[in-house]
Amino acid sequence: MQENTVRKYKLFWMWQDREEENWLREMAKQGFHLASLVFSGVYEFARGEPRDDVYRLDYTAVDKEEFDDYIEIFRESDWEYIDGGFGWYYFRKPADSESPNEIYTDPESKIKKYQRMFYALVVFPIVLTFFLPQIAKSDSIPLINVLLIAVLLFFVYAIGNILNRIRQLKRL
Amino acid sequence: MDDIFRIEKYLPLTETTYYTLLALIEPLHGYGVMQKVKEMSRGVVEIGPGTLYGAFSKLMKEGLIQKVQEDNRRKIYTLTNRGKELLRKQIERLEIMTLEGSKVIKDLE
Repeated sequence: MQENTVRKYKLFWMWQDREEENWLREMAKQGFHLASLVFSGVYEFARGEPRDDVYRLDYTAVDKEEFDDYIEIFRESDWEYIDGGFGWYYFRKPADSESPNEIYTDPESKIKKYQRMFYALVVFPIVLTFFLPQIAKSDSIPLINVLLIAVLLFFVYAIGNILNRIRQLKRL
Repeated sequence: MDDIFRIEKYLPLTETTYYTLLALIEPLHGYGVMQKVKEMSRGVVEIGPGTLYGAFSKLMKEGLIQKVQEDNRRKIYTLTNRGKELLRKQIERLEIMTLEGSKVIKDLE
């Protein structure tokens, strides 16, 4: 870690992307500019002058050979690519620049972003539900069963939150 | 017959897709499309890079636009014949919509 780098720990769930974006903007206003993501929930900030930057998180699948094209479209409209991982891409741009402060500008593409999250999450509970009867039947410790059901319920909760976002974005 | 059926499944286009195709009547790179769409729509429609990248990927996959050349890192896109056909069909639909709309607009005040 460099001298001017500050590490912060903060957890946001997948459906709290707006909250995370707002937090990163507030950090930048205090002079902490996102430099890299060490891991989910572990952020490294470069200390500098306070700036009003808008942060946006994209969640998408970009092929390796398409990555430069992807970044280039953002760069041309003032968005700086910061870091990414697990399908997430972090961008920022000055709040007062001429291009729009949103990376998704119509409801259809906003919905698609949350649909991608939905598909990423939905696989696990389906697979788990399929195996659940066998797990329950086996002589495994009850604790594991309780744990599995807790994980399953959490996934259901997460999917519910994402579906709620999608519902809010749907229009007439 | 089969081909006509296939192209019409894309209709009606979203405002973003419509303006993107309209802009690509001439070869343009990503930012060129964003600027031209804003200009054409009198500032009503602004396209962000996430939306545009998604539109480009989809339109490329469906063979409605193509990459024509690369200057430096920039990719230049334009309509394919299929894309032109789709755009023409959408414009025809829009013409009917605005024609019918203009008949009643004065009664809506």
